[in-house]
Amino acid sequence: MNSPKPVVLVIDDEIQIRRFLRAGFELEQFSVVEAENAHEALKAATLRPLDLIVVDLELPDLDGSAVVERVRAWSTVPIIVLSVRSSEAEKVRLLELGADDYVVKPFGMAELLARARAALRRQSRAAGAEPTIRVGALVIDLAARTVTVRGARIQLTPKEYRLLQLLAQHAGNVVTHQQLLKDVWGIRHTQDAHYLRIFVRRLRQKIEEEPTQPRILLTELGVGYRLAQAGDHAADARE
Amino acid sequence: MLKTSLSAIGFALILVALLTAALAALSRFVDVETVTIIYLVPVLVAAIRGGVVAAVITALAGMGAAAFFFYPPIFDFRVHNSIHLVDLVLFIIVAVVTGELATHVRAARMREQADVLREALVGSVSHELRTPLSSIVGSASVLAQTPAIAADARLASLVQGLREEAERLDDHIQNLLDATRISSEGVRPQPQWVDPGDIVNAAVEHKRRLLVAHPLKVVVGDDLPLINVDPMLIERALGQLIENAVKYSPPGSPIELRAEPAGASLRLVVRDVGTGLTPEESERIWERFYRGPRHRDSTAGSGLGLWVARALVVASGGTIDAFSAGAGRGTTLSISLPVEPHDSTFPMDRSDE
Repeated sequence: MNSPKPVVLVIDDEIQIRRFLRAGFELEQFSVVEAENAHEALKAATLRPLDLIVVDLELPDLDGSAVVERVRAWSTVPIIVLSVRSSEAEKVRLLELGADDYVVKPFGMAELLARARAALRRQSRAAGAEPTIRVGALVIDLAARTVTVRGARIQLTPKEYRLLQLLAQHAGNVVTHQQLLKDVWGIRHTQDAHYLRIFVRRLRQKIEEEPTQPRILLTELGVGYRLAQAGDHAADARE
Repeated sequence: MLKTSLSAIGFALILVALLTAALAALSRFVDVETVTIIYLVPVLVAAIRGGVVAAVITALAGMGAAAFFFYPPIFDFRVHNSIHLVDLVLFIIVAVVTGELATHVRAARMREQADVLREALVGSVSHELRTPLSSIVGSASVLAQTPAIAADARLASLVQGLREEAERLDDHIQNLLDATRISSEGVRPQPQWVDPGDIVNAAVEHKRRLLVAHPLKVVVGDDLPLINVDPMLIERALGQLIENAVKYSPPGSPIELRAEPAGASLRLVVRDVGTGLTPEESERIWERFYRGPRHRDSTAGSGLGLWVARALVVASGGTIDAFSAGAGRGTTLSISLPVEPHDSTFPMDRSDE
């Protein structure tokens, strides 16, 4: 984990995709290990410590979700899935299995790097560093449990704070509706999406400059919510 | 089709002849009533292989053989026993009914095979075309970040073009896939409670590249009712309306997007000040492959976009409309979606309400 260069395992059966992923990650000072199928990937994952896994959903031998599931059985290494369009249910399933985030093909390297960095940051936060999250004018102090917008403290109800806290802990990465409903309201309410919608709307009115054009608390349609992260807008502008 | 039914008739008639020979040889052991039932075998075979016509021809042949060889008087087509007459009529009815049933079964089976084929094609086209596009987009994005290219404005713009064109191609493929899915398997919405503003923002986000040449105004009320729809379908439909507005209004002209309550519905509106619609166009723009005669030669398009949008909206229980004051006077496209009450008895802790 403390090697000078973070190590990323890239799993995709298409050589051309692996090639640009390698180039893109190496430009950003990652060290890259490649695998073209699930078995190679699982072997590679046990052979050396990894800092990040990028896995394609469709692999020749096993489904990408199987890789996520198996790796999660023994490791918390951040996993980003390369997904296809029109498969929101599939994305949700992968996230519930333990993937940290996804990008939808075709994607640009900046987008993937933004997701990857967010997942890596969460990993280091889990280790105790970085107790405050800044997104634009919003500062969430996870240690002091305070939220300020442009320096002014704002009042949140316990459930609103819990929602924001969950998103902040995953800042830059998506959190599914089910995860949020389960954590904030409990396991019996995972189907009550309309309440989540109303809470998010209220939260946006407190933290967003223009609540109907959110820049901080972003919606991933059909999947969940994502707290933007510093540098996210550069990524949004697609290089 | 004709060939199959001819070969089915031929096959069934040979079967009738063979059965007649066999029954004649065994006539001492076979009851005359049983004969009728045995002749149903070639009728069923003909029905399954050739349909109603083949079944009826075979039934007539079988009936003729039964009357001639087995029903007294033997070797004569006349039938004396009225019970046998009833048998013969029943025989024809059974032939028609089984033939009809078999035709349906065959049609269903053929449809199923066509669907499987289409699905396989759609799946493989999707995969075969999109995988290389993913490589192109990804590689272009890495190239754009390399110092050598980032430092050269001309090269950088080429690389950007490479990426944008590949993304455009991917959008076209998505539209074709949507259209194919709609006509083959229909649309299967997966509704969930969603904030209409989120749908509008996602559609704008998706079409941002197209919208750069237009001043965009987005008006989303801050207390809109939630709607229970498949958000992905509505987002794609709205995206098609946005694409349409961009395509048929001059660069630099404003485009407005609204999400607003309208009676018992919620309305998503896309308004442009572009080429507008003639009365004929207003009527026909929702048709598949329809291209307005004014634009056919000047503007690229498949004539699928609005048709896809309409199918997605209708499958979601909504309606879609176009309004224009006439050619050159702008177009307003709108999606209306039903607003249902949702369960508001959700338990909250006291501090949360």
